[in-house]
Amino acid sequence: MSEATVAEVESPPQRELDFERLYRSSRDDVYAYAAGLLRDRAAAEDVTAAAFERAYRKRSRFDAERGSARAWLFGIARNAALDELRRRGRQAELSTDPVDAASQPDRGDQRSELRLLLDGALGELEARERELIALKFFAGLSNAEIGRVIGTSASNAGTKLHRTMDKLREACDGAL
Amino acid sequence: MERFSDHNDLAAALAEVRPAPRDDFSQELDRRADAGFPRRSRLAGSPLAGFAAWIRDLPPRRLLFAGSATALAAIAVATVVIASNGSTPQRVPIALDRPIPTEASGVDRLAHAQTGGVQYSEVVPQVATSGSSGRGRASNSAAAPSSATESDVEYTQSKPFMAESLANLSRNREIERSAEISLLANPIDVSEDSTKVFAAVHDANGIVLHSTTSSGKGGGARFELLIPSARLGDALAAFSSIDEVRSRHEATDDITKPTVTASEELRETQARVDSLLAQLSSAEVESEREAITAELHAERGQAARLRNQLARLHQRVTYSRVLVRIQSGTSTESEGAWGIGNAFHDAGHILGIAAGVTLVGLAVIAPLALLCLLAWLGQRLWLRSRRERALDA
Repeated sequence: MSEATVAEVESPPQRELDFERLYRSSRDDVYAYAAGLLRDRAAAEDVTAAAFERAYRKRSRFDAERGSARAWLFGIARNAALDELRRRGRQAELSTDPVDAASQPDRGDQRSELRLLLDGALGELEARERELIALKFFAGLSNAEIGRVIGTSASNAGTKLHRTMDKLREACDGAL
Repeated sequence: MERFSDHNDLAAALAEVRPAPRDDFSQELDRRADAGFPRRSRLAGSPLAGFAAWIRDLPPRRLLFAGSATALAAIAVATVVIASNGSTPQRVPIALDRPIPTEASGVDRLAHAQTGGVQYSEVVPQVATSGSSGRGRASNSAAAPSSATESDVEYTQSKPFMAESLANLSRNREIERSAEISLLANPIDVSEDSTKVFAAVHDANGIVLHSTTSSGKGGGARFELLIPSARLGDALAAFSSIDEVRSRHEATDDITKPTVTASEELRETQARVDSLLAQLSSAEVESEREAITAELHAERGQAARLRNQLARLHQRVTYSRVLVRIQSGTSTESEGAWGIGNAFHDAGHILGIAAGVTLVGLAVIAPLALLCLLAWLGQRLWLRSRRERALDA
């Protein structure tokens, strides 16, 4: 999660949408969310491009009173990702490593082992659970923003996230 | 064995494996962002696609504003069109001295009046076309007794009063006609207009039964006339050309039945007279002759009464009673002082039309809008459901 993302999360709600700033601060987060949910790099790129295109077209409809700009953007990105899931007609299977090994610096065998471990554990989660992980830890959204994106309350989103983390830990432990 | 001691440890590990986009993709997306995310649609660039995209990109408030402005403009245009064309019955010029063409459509348009300057707009009533039903050989337009009333600015005229139509009818039916016409004249013109009335009566070979004329403020004139029915149209046209027509009323009455009845009774009476004369010539007893003479006297009296009655009936057909009034006052055409009262009246009229247009528009649009709204909501719910199910698949 970039520093700009943190600044965006902590900043007060914008009255007018600065789309350029939103794009710069959220591009990689949207991709990470899409890749984490879809587990398909090419599909994640398509979804990211479609999400920003839709958001750009709808930028005048953004209402700061209804939530942060990032929550609004990830709502659009979620719809694009789910449309992609619907289009494929099946839950995305791991066709390529969602963790782009080529783009990651080689940090040694321990890191590679960690990636494989988490990747396997994430594959055991349901798409709905994997989405929570992607929104929280790949996209860096707050619980309130996650609640806004998936259509539930912040506390409920936190509860679901906690359970998902427990499940992910168990999956990791089981893989060892 | 636990790989992650707590959630923080796991969260840190997840951050380590966060997917990152390829540099090529990031650069390409940056370029598209700088270009304003140009559409990749097949229809991109076409005017229709551009308009559709413009509509889609409009914020809801602007869309609502644009829709409201469009609706208001449509209401305004419709109001102006209706107000200028008139939602009231169509008024057309009428030539009083020309017959009304009979049409099955019921509403006839009459030719322009060439009667010396005064033209009338009239509401031509719909005329029944059951020409021969119950009316013998009477024309469909003229046989029935009828009347039409005109307001002071609305001139209405019943069709059956046209001269030629009645001339044709009079060969078959006995039609009594009457008319009443009110003229509006400036006080100083009352005398002159009265003279013109006399002249018109003279030209029509009519008879002035009674006339009164008073001049000055509040003055006026009143004429009770008998005009030959065959020239009634000409006479009314002449009266109408004298000054501004405020109102006009014409009526007809089919008096064929009493005429025929009187004729038949007269024939019977005459036959009885002839029979009594024959009896009288053959009577030899004085008392019998006296009795026949008395009866003959009574029958002859009856015959005289019937002849008088027939004569009156024929006169009622031959001559039409016409009442001409001349009222002094300010012409509506010269009432140029358009005041606040007129403004309220006009405003109320226009608002009424606008309200009517709005009501009709709502009656048409509201159900369609409701259907569209329901369809849109249904589509959204369906799409949301399908998206959520995609997560559960």
